[in-house]
Amino acid sequence: MNTIALVGNPNCGKTTLFNALTGSNQRVGNWPGVTVEKKEGNFKFKDQIYTVIDLPGIYSLGSFSEDEIIARNYIISGNPDVVINVVDATNIERNLYLTTQLLEMGTKVVVALNMIDEAETKNIEIDIKTLSEKLGAPVIPTVASKKKGIENLISKAVELINKDMDYKAHISYGQNIDKEIENIKKFLENKNLDYSRQWIAIKVLEGDKEILNMIKEKDEEAYNSLDDMLAKHNLENLELEIVDKRYEFINSITSSAVRKPKENIVTLTDKIDSIITHKYFGLPIFALIMFIVFQLTFAIGQDLLGGIVGSGLEILGEKIESLLVTINAADWIVSFVIDGIFGGIGTVIEFVPLILVLYTLMGLLEDSGYMARAAYIMDNLMRRLGLQGKTFISMIIGFGCNVPGVMATRTLDNKKDKMIAILINPFMSCGARIPIYLVFISAFFSDNGGLVLFLLYALGIVVALIMAKIFSKTLFKGETSYFIMELPPYRIPTASNVLRNMWDNVSEFLKRAGTTIFAVVTILWVLAMLPIGVEPYSQSSILGRIGTAIAPIFKPAGYGTWQAAVGLFSGIAAKEAVVAILGMVYAGVEEGTELVKAIQSAFTPLSAASFMVMTLLYTPCAATLGVIKKETNSYKWTLFSAVYSFAVAWILSVIIYQVGRLIGLS
Amino acid sequence: MLKDILKMIKNEKYISKSKIAKNLNTTEDVVEQAFSQLYSMGYIKIENTKDCSHKCNGCAFASLCNKVPLNTIIITEKGEKILDN
Repeated sequence: MNTIALVGNPNCGKTTLFNALTGSNQRVGNWPGVTVEKKEGNFKFKDQIYTVIDLPGIYSLGSFSEDEIIARNYIISGNPDVVINVVDATNIERNLYLTTQLLEMGTKVVVALNMIDEAETKNIEIDIKTLSEKLGAPVIPTVASKKKGIENLISKAVELINKDMDYKAHISYGQNIDKEIENIKKFLENKNLDYSRQWIAIKVLEGDKEILNMIKEKDEEAYNSLDDMLAKHNLENLELEIVDKRYEFINSITSSAVRKPKENIVTLTDKIDSIITHKYFGLPIFALIMFIVFQLTFAIGQDLLGGIVGSGLEILGEKIESLLVTINAADWIVSFVIDGIFGGIGTVIEFVPLILVLYTLMGLLEDSGYMARAAYIMDNLMRRLGLQGKTFISMIIGFGCNVPGVMATRTLDNKKDKMIAILINPFMSCGARIPIYLVFISAFFSDNGGLVLFLLYALGIVVALIMAKIFSKTLFKGETSYFIMELPPYRIPTASNVLRNMWDNVSEFLKRAGTTIFAVVTILWVLAMLPIGVEPYSQSSILGRIGTAIAPIFKPAGYGTWQAAVGLFSGIAAKEAVVAILGMVYAGVEEGTELVKAIQSAFTPLSAASFMVMTLLYTPCAATLGVIKKETNSYKWTLFSAVYSFAVAWILSVIIYQVGRLIGLS
Repeated sequence: MLKDILKMIKNEKYISKSKIAKNLNTTEDVVEQAFSQLYSMGYIKIENTKDCSHKCNGCAFASLCNKVPLNTIIITEKGEKILDN
């Protein structure tokens, strides 16, 4: 029984053709030793039964993937009597690369020019006669999905089984390589290698390890002689030149056999990019977009949706409190549930609507392809400052969370660049800090909430860039390396992607509130209740004493209270905990006090601004410090990161407060 | 063509496959294939922010990371060597 193999690029219609040929006469198994699916079937033509093998979809016959090796080994082992190469007529340039390699192998090939109807719809004109002549192989137009051209294709394939096929697709690889091919062919003349000598010669010059090993296994002496011959060449260069010549060959075929309608040279993406990534306008546009995002966050998240969660939690808190009183629950249980859980965690959860809006808007930017541009714009700025451009990627990731931001610095090859990227990453305002800003903005800057949030993010970037510049000039000096970004085309964001992104963030946020923040709140609540006998949440409690001990450090910055100190202290465990702890300690001070009102009486607008800058820049959270230790493998640098960021934050915070006072702000 | 693409990567700050295709008078699909060949042959490294397997220690905003579909392409030492020749 004769065997026909089907080979082609993925999505060229190969399996459709296989189904059209074999109908229900199919068997599915695996290729020996691997998990790649093997499909086999039979069909009858002029009273003869033929076996058809559907080889894996591949782009070339290299040895880079399992699929390629399976297809190649199957063909070179002489299993099929003829190969039907399925070529997508709408994407002929790419598909012909495989065709060229098949012909180089000296295999009997019939080209099934599939999806010819789609090519016609796209006004792609293919001169089949010229194509066939140039390739030196029969080309049959088909539409496998409509079973058109199948009869003709089978007839041609069967005809070829009983005919010899000369290698006609002669590619000139240039004088030197052609000469070497001839030399190797001559050398292989009397060797028992079974396969096409032309093909083996090319593969040897390409440095194909599989083929070289195969020669070694069959004839070690021949392999050693070949090795000596090859030692004369720079194989890396030859490999690239050979591939380039194949593309040149394909180009020469398509330029004479294929005519395509002229495509719009300037795409919409190009037009948008000429403005969005403009040398001078790119950065202001980025700033404007982010400003609008923050403004909308407040307009929708606070003005429209604000209060919904807060009111819900208040009603729930009151009901649970009265229930606990009704069942005569112990005072400490009531205190823990109402002050600890509702006063602490509840305060964090109140900001869910704002977070929901912010991440929906960010999701829109991400899904549209804009954030990749934003990264590019940032990169441009960093290069202008003489910094390693690639650092920006970890910075962008740091906007979500500093832990993966620091981990992303692994991609930096240069150790010095990596150290700079690690040390500046915590200045990128992670999402966990948002609730802190929101509380203080609600208390003092609600009319300009978007602007204040925008300025905080911008300040984080500016401080990071300044510190990076200082580090690159002092602690670390290194060279920049070449890299480019691939910008995806713009697309209309899909509702499902944007909503999924929003839900991922909100659900993670809520999960976190129920785990880490809960743990921190519980520990600090216990400290606020001890020692037994003191007034809970008072300065005499352990928590109050810790806060009182730390508080003087923050006095020059305008918030030298034990509550603020405890809040900042808890932020080293987890940034979201700052708001939870402030909520708990202020709720404890005065029953029923809303955190925002408590903040208004404990802070001034100036000290609030100073506090926000502190929370933006000070010591990273424990998880981030942990990952800094892991990535730097140094306690010294971890400690340095914790201390220097605190120092930078403290200095800026003090400057803001003291300069503000000097110019008469309160 | 592959060498031309390598040169473009070295000389440009950012790249799009459509731009390369236009410059080389070919299709984006062919450029896509050329990129995978350069990658397979070890001339370039492709890094994707989506391919992040880092655990984020339960960070509340962990899911935000790696959402920016950003590919960076770096010329390897082997690639640099061929450009110098």
